[in-house]
Amino acid sequence: MQNLHRIDFLQNLPIYLCINRLSMKLLIIEDNAELSDDLANFLTDNGFVVEVAFNLKMAQQKVYDYSYDLIILDLGLPDGNGLELLREAKSKRLDMGFLIVTARNAIEDKVTGLELGADDYITKPFHKAELNARVRSILRRKNADGNNVLELGNLSVNLLSLDVTVGEKPIDLTRKEFDLLVYFMYNKYRVLTKESIVEHLWGDHADQADSFDFIYNHIKNLRKKLQQAGGDVQIQSVYGMGYKFSQNS
Amino acid sequence: MRPKSIRLLTKTTFIYLVFILIAFFSTAAFITQRINSFIDEDTESYFNRRERRVVKVIEESDRDLSEINDLVIINDLSGINMSSYPRYKDTTLVVSQMDDPMLFRVKTVILLTSNGNFEYRMHKNISDFDKFRQGVLGTITNTFIILVLVLTLFSLFLSGFLFRPFHRILGSMSRYKIGSDFNLPDVSTSTTEFKKMQLLVGKMISRIESDYNKLKEYTENMAHEMQTPLAIIRSKAEVLIADDNLMNDHSKTVKVIYDEATHLSNLGNTLNLLTKIENGEYDRVEKLNTFDIISRHVDAVKEMFELKGLNLKVDLDPGHTLHLDPLLFDVMLKNLLKNALRYGLGVGPVLLTTKGKVLFISNYGNPLPFDSAKIFNRFVGSNGAKSALGLGLALVKRICDLNKLSITYAFSDAQHTFTIEPIA
Repeated sequence: MQNLHRIDFLQNLPIYLCINRLSMKLLIIEDNAELSDDLANFLTDNGFVVEVAFNLKMAQQKVYDYSYDLIILDLGLPDGNGLELLREAKSKRLDMGFLIVTARNAIEDKVTGLELGADDYITKPFHKAELNARVRSILRRKNADGNNVLELGNLSVNLLSLDVTVGEKPIDLTRKEFDLLVYFMYNKYRVLTKESIVEHLWGDHADQADSFDFIYNHIKNLRKKLQQAGGDVQIQSVYGMGYKFSQNS
Repeated sequence: MRPKSIRLLTKTTFIYLVFILIAFFSTAAFITQRINSFIDEDTESYFNRRERRVVKVIEESDRDLSEINDLVIINDLSGINMSSYPRYKDTTLVVSQMDDPMLFRVKTVILLTSNGNFEYRMHKNISDFDKFRQGVLGTITNTFIILVLVLTLFSLFLSGFLFRPFHRILGSMSRYKIGSDFNLPDVSTSTTEFKKMQLLVGKMISRIESDYNKLKEYTENMAHEMQTPLAIIRSKAEVLIADDNLMNDHSKTVKVIYDEATHLSNLGNTLNLLTKIENGEYDRVEKLNTFDIISRHVDAVKEMFELKGLNLKVDLDPGHTLHLDPLLFDVMLKNLLKNALRYGLGVGPVLLTTKGKVLFISNYGNPLPFDSAKIFNRFVGSNGAKSALGLGLALVKRICDLNKLSITYAFSDAQHTFTIEPIA
């Protein structure tokens, strides 16, 4: 089923994006096999080539023997702290992106990780859609995938100039609407929970929200602007769960 | 009211002095009583001899009674109250040969003889006895004063020298802070009790540290290790949520699993944070100018309030400062705003104000469904609110307590107000 799902997904991608994304190679370093498999499946479904390491030693071997575009690094490993690997990789000037995974309250780890040269951090537990967005954002910043335009149907989002167009027609979006659209574009054809959307848009302040229903206003406005511009995309409400962004069939 | 605290040695010395005073007073009373009895016996014996001799002289009719001093003839006994005799009186008299006045005891008697009735007054010099009595009392008083001085000096010496190790051990104990890798300094002493006390305090601190570390490790492990299974549950739930083939009824159930796993995860994280705060792990206290911090924070969340139909208004004093770890102020601010956002009603604005040394935050809302005294307790107000952890205000209160800040809650005119200010 997962394979079928991936094929469906790939069918909707422009060909050059498919080729580029399939060449993106990720290494997940996570000691829990269940979680790492789950993440690997998810990222594979999203078009990445994924490998997994379960401990620091295994990760060190892989990192020095092969080349990866991005390493998703859990800091709490059974045989050491993941920061050691980050420190070694940066000292050897290995050109890899690092996304560190920390426990929510380990503020010191976040700071140390970023100081050591990690590109971003994500705290456990995280939404997979958020992980996907962070991974793509790092790869884009490092210019590893060579493009800054996301496309679906006649909708085009330029991540550098922040321009959004339907066909040739530009759409004026607020900053939050733009972030929301990019998040949807990174996670198209996937149900995004309201929590995940709020966390993406408000980051560390998301936990201040008492309910997540208020994002409906943003969804409504974005939906209206896309429709008015004649976009052949839709933001579908999935009752009780969240929203799904897809191309009109 | 708690009794006033007094140092042990001061207290012991005082009690000792009270007992000594009682002992000295009793001794003085006893000695005085013995001296008085002796004077009484001696003078009485003298007076009796004298009285017998005078009676004998009177009854020898050929003697001239005028030679006898202080003898007065009584012609009529009817005017005399016989029961008031003999009369005694101690009086000071000046004796011609002596410079100083002297103390005499005077006894007046009625003599009934065959040669008539007489009133006779006899004198006995008791100055020596009196001097002896005063000398004894003076000696007792002086001894007592010397004893008070000696005891006070001794008490000072004890506290300054003998009790020095005790005070050093106490000082070390007062400097002890849990979780700070504290080593009890070795205080040199030859006193068995202090050695034992030092040993016991050392053992007690080791035990506390060991328990604390175990508890900390347990809490951290729980909070950290719990996150991985929860992440797996959430991850699996996400897979199911994304599955288009999932039945609608099942998807609702999966969403509940997803939400509850998220709730549990947040709970673990917040309890862990609370434990860290309780343990004083956030101790980088600095003088924070709150203006910029609050402004940045408000900018980030203002939209959340607007989307809920609430107007978040701020009135900030650029001079307002607080002394605490910036991370804790962040936690405090987040939770106060979260509380206002969660329970605020759109009938009026949410006000966040700093003025002078005080920070206020108020929101309109329904009256509390529980006793307001419990507002800062854990898990009190969260029963009705979906997704509320019930720890936010407990966190704020704890942060205030640990940073010498007072937080008070008031409800009036449908407005809930929290006031935070430094404890003077």
